[in-house]
Amino acid sequence: MVRLADIPEPERTVIAGLNCPAYADTPPVTPATAAERHVAIVSTAGLILRGERPMLANETGYRAIPSSAPDGDVLCSHVSTNFDRTGFQQDLNVMLPRDRLRELEQQGEIGRAADTHYAFMGATSPEKMQDKAREVGRSMLALGVNTVVLAPV
Amino acid sequence: MSGLAHYLEDEGLATVVVALVREHVVSMRPPRALWVPFELGRPFGAPGDVEMQLSVLRAALALLEQPAKQPLLVDFEGQDSTPPVDPNWRFPAQLEHGSVLAEAAAVMPVWQLACERLGRTSVGISGLNPETAVDFVARYLSPDPLPNPKGMAPVSRVRFAIDDIKAFYLEAALAQGGHPSSRQLRDWFWNETLAGGMIREFQDKALASDDANLNRIAGSLVPAELTFSYLRGN
Repeated sequence: MVRLADIPEPERTVIAGLNCPAYADTPPVTPATAAERHVAIVSTAGLILRGERPMLANETGYRAIPSSAPDGDVLCSHVSTNFDRTGFQQDLNVMLPRDRLRELEQQGEIGRAADTHYAFMGATSPEKMQDKAREVGRSMLALGVNTVVLAPV
Repeated sequence: MSGLAHYLEDEGLATVVVALVREHVVSMRPPRALWVPFELGRPFGAPGDVEMQLSVLRAALALLEQPAKQPLLVDFEGQDSTPPVDPNWRFPAQLEHGSVLAEAAAVMPVWQLACERLGRTSVGISGLNPETAVDFVARYLSPDPLPNPKGMAPVSRVRFAIDDIKAFYLEAALAQGGHPSSRQLRDWFWNETLAGGMIREFQDKALASDDANLNRIAGSLVPAELTFSYLRGN
């Protein structure tokens, strides 16, 4: 488990060329000022809460991860062998930096860290996730979130 | 990830992608992206490096201050702070190699120490405890399989049990700290443990099986360079 550049062929080429549909440029939203930023994290690590059904390969739905959930209750159900899991095992913030986001809030660098973060399953066709992505986007807007950091795995 | 950014931005949210695979971002053109030079699986850098995690978040959010020139792709200026490989690292206990179940029993107390040190465990997606997960996989293709508890299809259960076994062993390997690299840990698990051998054998059988569901999961159980004989060199 290494950087992409260090992965042996043919895996490297497979990952680099994975499911990359073409998109027209999306007109950017005018961002909130730093003080007004209400920030959520959206991960593609297939994160779930302990006891939930794990996400399956190519699943298009998402899970909500409350910021109050104990670290030990957040599990990773993206089980690809292409990425390192030992970092996550030592520190949840490697994949979901929710503690760091709270610290930015406490230091006044953002307005607010979201109460809920979200997870999709990586390596799923993004086009097939469109409906659920828009659904979770509307949910975040309803909660006052205006900024999203998208975190891969 | 980049595709999600398009949809969320279109819904009215300002987005920033933290990207590990630069090629994907170049191809999919999300509105704003920060490429980071870290291992896959570690988008915010090394575990425990609070300053690096903050630096990545700050750099990502700083893209929101840039003029609206879209798409925006910036390379993170920091370097991977993962400590150098520890050449003296060894698994912190003598393992029993008589059987995979005996080996797992020897790993158990080490894993319990690791859970105390780490303050949590990532084992649990299969819903089985670690030793039962080992037994479930070991007997899955035998004439005497363990019963599958309700709530999950058998093929999913065995898939996630395999990942729980990997997490169980790798967490145990971290029981005494040190700085083993992810590559060291991976090589140790796949080359030096009976559990790694059991999973490789399971994969061989799953690939050869007539069961389409087993075929479907078989390809993602073992790192690719260990899976195919031409890459193994045998």
